[in-house]
Amino acid sequence: MAGVRTSREKWGNRIAIATVFVALIIMLTPIYWITATAFKPRNLATTIPPTVVFTPEVSPFVKLFTKRSQLRDQPTQKEYDAAPWWEQMVFDGGEKVVRNRKTGEVRPSGYADRFKNSLIIAITSTLLAVSMGTLTAYGFSRFKVRGEDDWMFFILSTRMLPPVVVAIPMFLMYRVVGLNDTHLGLIILYTAFNLSFAVWIMKGFIDEIPKEYEEAALVDGYTRMQAFFKVVLPEALTGMAATAVFCFITAWNEYAFALIMTTRKAQTSPPFIPSQIGSGLPDWTVIAAGTFLFLIPVAVFTFLLRNHLLRGMSFGAIRK
Amino acid sequence: MRTTLNGMLAGVAFGAISASSALAEDLVIFWAEWDPANYLQELVNEYEEETGISVTVETTPWSDFQTKAFTEFNARGSAYDMIVGDSQWLGAASEGSHYVEMTDFFAKHGVADIMAPATVKYYAEYPGNSKRYWAIPAEGDAVGWSYRKDWFEDPAEMAAFKTKYGYDLAPPATWAQMTDIAEFFHRPDEDRYGIAIYTDNSYDAMVMGVENALFSYGAELGDFETYEVEGFVNSDKAVAALENYKKLYGFTPPGWAKTFFVENNQAITEGLVAMSMNYFAFFPALLNEATNPHAANTGFFANPAGPDGDQYAALGGQGISVIKYSENQEESMKFLEWFIKDETQKRWAELGGYTASAAVLESEEFRTATPYNEAFYQTMFKVKDFWAVPEFAELLTSANQRLYPFIIGDEGTAKETLGALAADWTATFKKYGRGQ
Amino acid sequence: MPSEVMIRLDPKSRAAAKGLNDLTIRNLFIIPTIVFLIVFNIFPLLYSLGYSFTDFRASTNAPANFVGLQNYRDLLNDPFIWKNFSITAKYVLISVTGQVIVGFGLAMLLNRSIPAKGLITTLMLLPMMLSMAVVGLFWKLLYDPNFGIINYFLGLGKFEWLADPDMALYAIAIVDIWMWAPFVMLLSLAGLSAVPKHLYEAAEIDRAGSFYTFFRITLPLVAPILMIAIIFRTMEAFKTFDLAYVLSSQPNTELIAIRLYKMAFQEWQTGMSSAFAYIVLIMVVAITNIYVKYLNKVKAR
Repeated sequence: MAGVRTSREKWGNRIAIATVFVALIIMLTPIYWITATAFKPRNLATTIPPTVVFTPEVSPFVKLFTKRSQLRDQPTQKEYDAAPWWEQMVFDGGEKVVRNRKTGEVRPSGYADRFKNSLIIAITSTLLAVSMGTLTAYGFSRFKVRGEDDWMFFILSTRMLPPVVVAIPMFLMYRVVGLNDTHLGLIILYTAFNLSFAVWIMKGFIDEIPKEYEEAALVDGYTRMQAFFKVVLPEALTGMAATAVFCFITAWNEYAFALIMTTRKAQTSPPFIPSQIGSGLPDWTVIAAGTFLFLIPVAVFTFLLRNHLLRGMSFGAIRK
Repeated sequence: MRTTLNGMLAGVAFGAISASSALAEDLVIFWAEWDPANYLQELVNEYEEETGISVTVETTPWSDFQTKAFTEFNARGSAYDMIVGDSQWLGAASEGSHYVEMTDFFAKHGVADIMAPATVKYYAEYPGNSKRYWAIPAEGDAVGWSYRKDWFEDPAEMAAFKTKYGYDLAPPATWAQMTDIAEFFHRPDEDRYGIAIYTDNSYDAMVMGVENALFSYGAELGDFETYEVEGFVNSDKAVAALENYKKLYGFTPPGWAKTFFVENNQAITEGLVAMSMNYFAFFPALLNEATNPHAANTGFFANPAGPDGDQYAALGGQGISVIKYSENQEESMKFLEWFIKDETQKRWAELGGYTASAAVLESEEFRTATPYNEAFYQTMFKVKDFWAVPEFAELLTSANQRLYPFIIGDEGTAKETLGALAADWTATFKKYGRGQ
Repeated sequence: MPSEVMIRLDPKSRAAAKGLNDLTIRNLFIIPTIVFLIVFNIFPLLYSLGYSFTDFRASTNAPANFVGLQNYRDLLNDPFIWKNFSITAKYVLISVTGQVIVGFGLAMLLNRSIPAKGLITTLMLLPMMLSMAVVGLFWKLLYDPNFGIINYFLGLGKFEWLADPDMALYAIAIVDIWMWAPFVMLLSLAGLSAVPKHLYEAAEIDRAGSFYTFFRITLPLVAPILMIAIIFRTMEAFKTFDLAYVLSSQPNTELIAIRLYKMAFQEWQTGMSSAFAYIVLIMVVAITNIYVKYLNKVKAR
C-alpha cells in the first residue's frame, strides 16, 4: 500500500481481519466438534444443549480398537470391579469387550489393520505418482514432443473419469488377475489417479526452472541425466512437496475405489470407519475417535510441508 | 449337479491342502454390523476353546452389506469362508453358484427337523419348495415394536385418549389403533412425537417398513410362483396399507427421512417417540440402563393386525452359508456341524442370538429370557418376505424409486405409486423371462 | 509416440556426445507414464465398451448376449436417469459457485496485511484434508434436527436440512463448499500475490474506484488461475460420490455417480452400467474440452 493510510482503509482492514477470523472459526468448528466428540462419553455426544464443557476420557479410543458386544443388563459389581479401568469404561457405555475365552485376549476391531493398509497404500502410491509425474513433466517441459498439447490433454482426461466408471472394468480385470482386495491393486489405481495431476502441476514448476542452469551444468561436463538429478531436481523439490501433499490427501481419503475394490485384507480406513458407528444405537464418539486419529498423519504431513505448499502453489501459479 | 460335484472336488482339494499344512486356518464369517454379530463372535470364541480353530466375525454396516458381499462373491474372493447372508440373496447366490450347496448336509444332519419350519423355508431353501438348501438358518428375525410404557400408562394420558378416541390406550392391536396413538402422542411443541418408522431408501430398509403394513393389510407383493404382480402389489388393500404408512410418516420426529434401526432405537433412548418400529435383534440396547435411560419404561409388542385381522410381519434374519471361493470349506462344514448342535443353539440364544432351533425357541426359558422374546416367538410364525430372485436388487431399486417420493416427498397418490411399481416389476420379470 | 526430437540445448555441446542421448531420456521419462495410463485407464474402458453392448451381469455365470444399442436406448429413455443428470448439473453449479465465492472472497481478504497470515491459511486448509466419506457421516450428526449443533447455534429450531427434499442437495453442497473453498482460496491467493503492486499504485494515482480496480486489474489477472481452480473443482463435483452417498438417500440427491454405483455394484447390471459409464464419459470429456478452450482464451488475453 502506498504510504498514506486513510481511516477508511484502516477500517477496511479491521473488518477484513474480523471477517477472516469469523470464517476461520466457522471452518474449524466441525473439526473442533469431531475432536471434542472423540473424547466424550457416549451419552454426552448427542445432548441438547450441546455439551461443551466435559471431562475428557479415552473410552472412544478404547472402543475404536476393540470388538464390543451390547449388554442387556448391567454387569455385576464383581465383574465390574475385576475389570481393568479401560474395560470399565466400556461397561459404563452399556457394552462389554469381546475376549478370547481361553487366553483372555481382547479381540481387536480391525481399525489398526485398516490404518496400516491406508499408510502402505497412500505412501507408496504418492511416491510413485510424484516420481513418475516429475520425470514425465521434465520430459514434456524440456524436449519437443509432437502433439504435446494433445498428450497433456490426454493425461488430464484420465483424471476426469468418475471412479465408478473406471471401477466397473477394473473390477472385472482385477478379478481375472486376482488383484481385488490387494494392496497392489489399490496402489495401482491411486497412482494412475494421481499421476495426471502430478504431471500437470510438475510441468508448471519445471517450466519455471531456467534452462540456463542445466546448460551451465552440461557445459561443465555433466551428462543430461546428471544435470537432471543434480540441478533440476533440487530446484523442483518445492513443487514435488506440494504435489505430494495433494496426492497424499487424495489417496489417503479415497472412498469409492476402496469401497468397491477391497473387502478385508487390503481395506483402507475410509470405508471402515463408518462401520464402527455401533449396532443398536449410534455411537458418534467412536466415529469421531476414528476420524480424529485418521486426520493426524495427513495433518502432520501437510504442516511439515506447509511452506512448500504455500510457496509451491504460488510459484507454480505465477506462470499460468 | 455340476455345482455339487465342483464343490466336492474343491472340498477334497482344499481338505488335502489344509491337512498337509497341519495348522488350522483362521475361519472368517462375514456379517453385518449389529449386536447379533457380536454375540456370534462370543459364541465362536467357544468353538476356538474347544477346537483351537479361531473364528473371526467380520462386519460391515447394513447399508453396504449387500454390496460388499456380492462384490466379494463376484470377485471370486476368498477373504471370507462363511457368510450370514440375507434371505433374499438366496436366488442370486445359488444361481451365481457363490454358495456351496447344503442339501446333502441337510439330509445328513437332519437340519430341516432341527430348525423351525419358517426359518428353513425362508433362510435356506431356493427355489421355493425345491428341497434344495443353501444355508443353515442362523439368526431368526422379524420386525416388532418398542413403546414407552410410562406414556401409555400415565392416567392423565389414558383418560384423555379415551375421551378422544373412545377406547382404552394400550399397545395397539391394529394398524388403525396404532395410527390413532401416534397421532395422539404427536406433540411437536413438547418435543414429543408419535412414532418412528423406517424411511431409509437405500437397500431394503424402507421397503421392510412398508411390507409390515402391506402384509398385515392382507396384501401380497405378488404371486411367488407365476411372478404376477399386477393386482397384488397395487391391490386396494396394498393401496390402503401404503396410505396408512404415509400417514404414520406425518407423526415422526423432524428429519425422519433416512432412518433405519439405529435412528429408530435412538428415538426411544432420546425420549422422542411413543412407539418405534425395529427388528427384534436391535432391542438389546433398549434393555440396558446404560444405553437407554428409559429402559425400565420400554415395552414391546408384535406388529399389529390389519383391518381384516391379517397379521404378518416383514422377515429379517439370515442363514449361514459356506462361500464357494473359500479355501477352508472343509473346516467351515465342521464348524457348521458344531453350530447346529443343541447345546450350541441353546448357548447362542443365551448370548442374545435369535436361534432358529425349534426346540430352543419353544422352550419356556427362551420365551421369558427378555421382555420381547415372547413377541418374537409369536411373530416368527407369521412372517413374510421379499422376493428372493437373483434380480431382487433391481426390484428393490424400483420400490425405493417409487415409494420414497410418495411417502416422504408427498408426490402423487398411493394408487399411482403402486401402479407404477407394479409396471416396473412386471417389466423386470419380463426382462429376465420369469413367469412365462 | 512421435520420433522427431528437437534438442533445445546446443547439440554441439559435449553433453550431447556423452551418456544417454536426449531421445532416449525423453522416451524413458515419458513412455512409462503414458503406457501406465493407457493400461490402467484406457484399456479398461475399451474392455467395458464391449460389455456395454451386452446384457452381461458379473454376478452370474450366464454368458453375455449381444444386445446392440439396447442398453443405450433404455438408459436414454429412462426418466430417472435424466433426473440424475439434472440433479448433478444443479449440484455442480451450486457447489462450484459457492466454492469460488467463498474461496476467492477469503483470498481477497487474506491478501491484506493480516496478522498470522501463514498460520491462518494453513488452518483453513484443514477441512480439505479430511475424508469426505467419514466427515460426511459426521455432518449428518451436525445437521441432525434433534441433536445437531448447527440448528442449535443458528437458532433454527427443528430445521430439516437433509430430510427436506428441496434442501438436501444444498446441505450436501454446503459440506462440499466447506471442504473445498480453501482449495480455491489457496490458488486465488497465489494468483493475487502475483499481481504486480505497481498496477494498484497506478490505479490509486488515477483515483480509480475500488470497483474499477477490482474488475479492471485484479480479476483479469487472476482469471487464468481461477479458471484452473474451477476446472478442477467442476470435475471433482461432477464425480461426487462419497459425500452424497453417506449424507443422504433422497431421490433428489441421487447424483450420477451414485446411480451408476447402484446399477453396477448393487444390481450388478454390468452391461447396462458400462453403457451408462460411456454416456457419462462422453459428457465429461465434452465439458472439460469446453473449459480448456475457454481457459486458453482467457490465457491468451
